[in-house]
Amino acid sequence: MSQTWRLLQHGARSAFDNMAIDEAILRCVTGGMVPPTLRFYRWQPSAVSIGYFQGLEQEIDQEACTTHGVDVIRRLTGGGAVYHDYEGEITYSLAIPDDYPGLPRKILDSYDALCRGLVIGLQALGMPAEFKPINDITVNERKISGNAQTRRFHGILQHGTILCEVDPHLMFTLLKVPNEKIRDKLIAGVEERVTSIRREMGSVDRARVTQALIDGFAEALDITLVPGELIDHEIVLAETLKEEQYATDEWIAMR
Amino acid sequence: MQPTSGLRCADYKAPGGKLLRVRLTVTEHATPPIITSLRLTGDFFMHPEEAILDLEERLAGAPLEAGALHQRLQAFLDTGIEVIGASVEDIVHVILSAQEILDS
Repeated sequence: MSQTWRLLQHGARSAFDNMAIDEAILRCVTGGMVPPTLRFYRWQPSAVSIGYFQGLEQEIDQEACTTHGVDVIRRLTGGGAVYHDYEGEITYSLAIPDDYPGLPRKILDSYDALCRGLVIGLQALGMPAEFKPINDITVNERKISGNAQTRRFHGILQHGTILCEVDPHLMFTLLKVPNEKIRDKLIAGVEERVTSIRREMGSVDRARVTQALIDGFAEALDITLVPGELIDHEIVLAETLKEEQYATDEWIAMR
Repeated sequence: MQPTSGLRCADYKAPGGKLLRVRLTVTEHATPPIITSLRLTGDFFMHPEEAILDLEERLAGAPLEAGALHQRLQAFLDTGIEVIGASVEDIVHVILSAQEILDS
């Protein structure tokens, strides 16, 4: 049976606002205050996010981030470090109750089900996209999308990125490499292992790609997406979460 | 002879899974050594996430030996925790492969 979801097409915000808003939405979705929600957003300034379990010092060259004006944030979700370039990616999040009808109970299977929307969207743009367990989407064996889930407040939050353009050199300037000797090798490896909308399509039409992904989610999940706004409670909650958690050193340097 | 306590580190990419990075301290005077503190980081997933602190607490005090580590990890998972991207064997492997790092 078709459900109605809220669609949020947000512009660019800071990393701290973005992560706080994702959690605020999850809390309000599971609290029954708003419908299941699909959100698209960007990062300004560009930012590096690390997974919940990653060590800040181990993963991030903080001096390089400062030099490049790149924010650093820890996500509520596990997974790896990601460079979120303002121009270089499309980011989405979705929030649903954990008893959402038809969603596979097993977390691994639910990644597949929730990533279907992205796969269908990319396929509609002409790319042979495939879900690649655990949490990636590939095109011609190269990763184009990474995704991460948390489950809390009786809900599921999944967020992820679709790469539009890649700058491996900048990426490995901001992220630490095991040793300097292999930096060039890692940069070269990105060409082999990672792809982007630019590489696959020749150009990046963000509006077109985003619309394809929206249509993909609508088809994959059999949902009607209705454009909406954050409610006041989400805005206030996000502000509190940002100040008390996401923008604090205690959180960012937790591990 | 004074008992020594050194920091040991290891990284291990679980086959078909995620990167596990461990840093631990041990008391060397026991055989096998006893873990005194341990931090497990990496790009894996654990649900609920906060349980990582419980896991690290459970591993502190454990002998650095496969059987005991396996038992403590299994008991941890049996509390209803789901780890994605790393098996019990992978976590035991990274802990046992940790080597003392020397200041250079």
